[in-house]
Amino acid sequence: MKNKRGWFAFPYVIWMALFVVIPIVIMAVYAFTAADPATGATQPTLGNFTGMGLYLSVFLRSFWLALLATLVCLLIGYPVSYWMAKEGPRFQRLAMALIMLPMWMNFLLRTYSWMSILENNGLLNQLFQNIGVIDLYNRIAPFFVDLHNVFARYFGGVETSFVPIYHFQMIGTPGAVVLGMVYNYLPFMILPIYSVIVKLDNSLIEAARDLGADGVRVFRRVIFPLSLPGILSGVTMVFVPSVSTFAISNLLGGGNQMMLGDLIELQFLGGAYNPHLGAAISMVMMVIVVVCMVVMNHFGEGEEQAVML
Amino acid sequence: MKKTNPIGGRIFIGLTFLFLYLPIFLLIVFSFNAGDSSAVWRGFSLEWYAALFHNRLIMESLYTTLLVSLLATAIATAAGTFAAIGLYSLSRRRRDALLVVNDIPMMNADIVTGVSLCLFFVAFFQGWGTFAQWFNGVQSAVELPVRLTLGFTTMLLAHVAFNIPYVILNVAPKLRQMDKNLVDAAQDLGCTWMQAFWKVILPEIKPGIVSGALIAFTMSIDDFVISYFTAGSSTSTLAMRIYSMTKKRITPEVNAVSTLLFLSVLALLVLNNVREIRQERRADRQEVREPSLMEKLSMRLSSPAGKWVRRGLTAAMACGFVVVVALLTGATASQPVVNVCSWGEYIDEELITQFEDATGIRVNYQTAESNEALYSLLKSGGADYDVIVPSDYMISQLMEEGMLEELDYSRIPNFQYIDERFRNLPYDPENKYTVPYSWGTLGLIYNANMVEEEPHSWGALYDDQYAGGVLLINNSRDALGAALLHLGYSVNTTDEGEIREAFALIAGASRRGVFQGKVMDQVFQKMEGGNAAIATYYAGDYLSMLDNQADGVDLRYVIPEEGANWFVDAMCVLKDAPHYDEAMEWINFIASTKANLANMDYIWYASPNAEALEQYPAYYEELYGEELDPELYKIMAAPAEVLERCEMYLVLPPATRALYNELWVQLGT
Repeated sequence: MKNKRGWFAFPYVIWMALFVVIPIVIMAVYAFTAADPATGATQPTLGNFTGMGLYLSVFLRSFWLALLATLVCLLIGYPVSYWMAKEGPRFQRLAMALIMLPMWMNFLLRTYSWMSILENNGLLNQLFQNIGVIDLYNRIAPFFVDLHNVFARYFGGVETSFVPIYHFQMIGTPGAVVLGMVYNYLPFMILPIYSVIVKLDNSLIEAARDLGADGVRVFRRVIFPLSLPGILSGVTMVFVPSVSTFAISNLLGGGNQMMLGDLIELQFLGGAYNPHLGAAISMVMMVIVVVCMVVMNHFGEGEEQAVML
Repeated sequence: MKKTNPIGGRIFIGLTFLFLYLPIFLLIVFSFNAGDSSAVWRGFSLEWYAALFHNRLIMESLYTTLLVSLLATAIATAAGTFAAIGLYSLSRRRRDALLVVNDIPMMNADIVTGVSLCLFFVAFFQGWGTFAQWFNGVQSAVELPVRLTLGFTTMLLAHVAFNIPYVILNVAPKLRQMDKNLVDAAQDLGCTWMQAFWKVILPEIKPGIVSGALIAFTMSIDDFVISYFTAGSSTSTLAMRIYSMTKKRITPEVNAVSTLLFLSVLALLVLNNVREIRQERRADRQEVREPSLMEKLSMRLSSPAGKWVRRGLTAAMACGFVVVVALLTGATASQPVVNVCSWGEYIDEELITQFEDATGIRVNYQTAESNEALYSLLKSGGADYDVIVPSDYMISQLMEEGMLEELDYSRIPNFQYIDERFRNLPYDPENKYTVPYSWGTLGLIYNANMVEEEPHSWGALYDDQYAGGVLLINNSRDALGAALLHLGYSVNTTDEGEIREAFALIAGASRRGVFQGKVMDQVFQKMEGGNAAIATYYAGDYLSMLDNQADGVDLRYVIPEEGANWFVDAMCVLKDAPHYDEAMEWINFIASTKANLANMDYIWYASPNAEALEQYPAYYEELYGEELDPELYKIMAAPAEVLERCEMYLVLPPATRALYNELWVQLGT
């Protein structure tokens, strides 16, 4: 068998060189050059990287929001996978199908449905209006503002006046962006964790119990460590698309919550054409993500990478 | 594992599913809504389903999505399976090295893959252009196309490229599990290699191939980012169509198409589940299980007669593929086409149909978000437009960079109706490149019910009292222009200090949370629905909003006291446009008085056609049986005394443009 079919791999090696390696090399070339605004001629430079400090806040925001979204996904996804694995096989199959199903509608459709929910005049605000939550807020909030002002008067601070609200501002906030990420990428967290937990050897758990471990201990010392590969691949699969998204931050963040993806898109197809800077930001993002992943996989070393499904 | 679940666990799972499905459920409910609101229920209706089937843009993009996903899945599955088999016959060291490269597209963020492939294609096209020119020069037997652009093919290649790794990832474990001696045994027993492949390897790794194909399909259909960067302008998947719609007005047709998609996937899943349950029951009763289609196929193929069936099947598949490709290219080649790029809500779509019926030329109508975005699209090689409709200053810039083609005015007789005022303007002094499309002013739009006092100055945009209620216009020229005017500078200043001061004004307001968002055509939905108080936008669009404003919304338009910008948008043809003749016909048709009247009535922008401009009030009266409000007409076609207070944008020198871009990127950081 050896070497007989090695040539089968040959077309794919060429394919990978063409569509994986060369594009990244070209991107690197763009990142290390700049176009002279007057003549349009390109020349090598490091300026794209040295000037990147300006966008530090975007980097920080992207990583922060993506981290939050990943955490929330983990906090929801792990218990769901854990409890799902305990159900009967028919329930499990149905649940898996139900988790996959939204992915077959494009993620933009799913994000769009949140837009109409979170708008200032959207479904949620109308609901709040109708059940009187907004009136309630307008009645209660002045009290807290007064309280704040009393404190401000005695202990020093800025006094504020109360402005009644007509709606809760949800769209255009970082919370909306995180919500969009969690909603879209939650299946990516559930699937790998579930596929690891469901394959756990039951006799290991029984052995632990026989040896006197209580439920918490079994979870902490046996189940959790064994599901770590699933967690790691889930975290990667949620974090990477979250940190680089531009559609979600654009639609739910209203352009106020600029993220790395927006920054890159702006340079290529948006309102500030500069592919050199865009390529440089992409490179930096790629390197940071790869470093994060290498560090993370270091924890799970020796474990087989969990494969989705 | 223990098979007991606390009740809390079940509730938690239930809540998670509620979270996953509630938005989808709402999407479905509102697809049956009678009004065009996605928040207020106005009764049951199927109008959006009817509208959907008449919406060529959405139907085409749905077709593109399915086609690209299916083709990419088929190609990637076949290629990935062979590559995996090949990789597993290499030595371990080499294989591991190659698998690392294989992992790159999966580990990389989509946007990095998309951007790098986009740059790669564009670099290839440039190289190809040079080669084709040289090749066409040295021989005349074969004429190679010089100008290639991003399109369906590049998008398909990109999809295949990101799908193959998933297939390999799924096939590889099955190969690892397979006993390597099996193939040798089969061959020792007299199998040819091909027979061994079909009879031994394929059945062993089949589950891996099936799940690989499934994941590839899921990834393809869920993808937006990679398509967005590699599809160019004239091809668009459903996701791209929706993304461009969210920047304008989303109609409930999108809800309808989502519902249909969701229901068809749901039906597939239910069928599959039912089949599996049946199979399980049969297995329980220990009956012989009916072989599945795939198994039947592989059994058939491995029987002695199967060789011929196999060859026939391969040939049929190859033929089918060729036919599909031929149909795809043929369908586009047989009919003359013109690719037009304009702005959102900027044409009476009836005109497109009329033009197509009259001339037999198919109009591929696209929109861009802003002049700057159009420029990016042109520069990044994604656009295969013939006719574009940029504004004055962008026209100068494109001319400067040699990107426009001269027009053949002998074939645009309707140019004679263009008012003298709109000929030989500074952006095209000899009028060799342009035919004006419309003109208007940029001003403040506000909801009188949401502001304390009527704003008269651009300063309202940066005023803390409207915090969270102001919409910043999402293009650097207009946003900075308003700030420059507010500070008392010219919109065409090249003084870096003045520009930075204007930027500081915007950036400060942005930091204080004055802006609800940066929008272009989203402004329609936001202002009409009472979601924002103040916006900067164009006069014509204000008038469109008046037609659609919700209850309790009272929109007004004002040219601030500091003055404003007035603009002309004009039709131009791009250099080396592939459909130059059709472009001339289109321009001539749009410049006609009839088309201008229809457009004016639909988009509410003033026409540069002198006849149309004069006749419009009468046209309106005849159409609607009531007089056109002269105030509205004044807003649409600003009278001379207003235009005097307005300044036209001139093209800025490259250094200033670079500064604009640099500052614009920093906004919101």
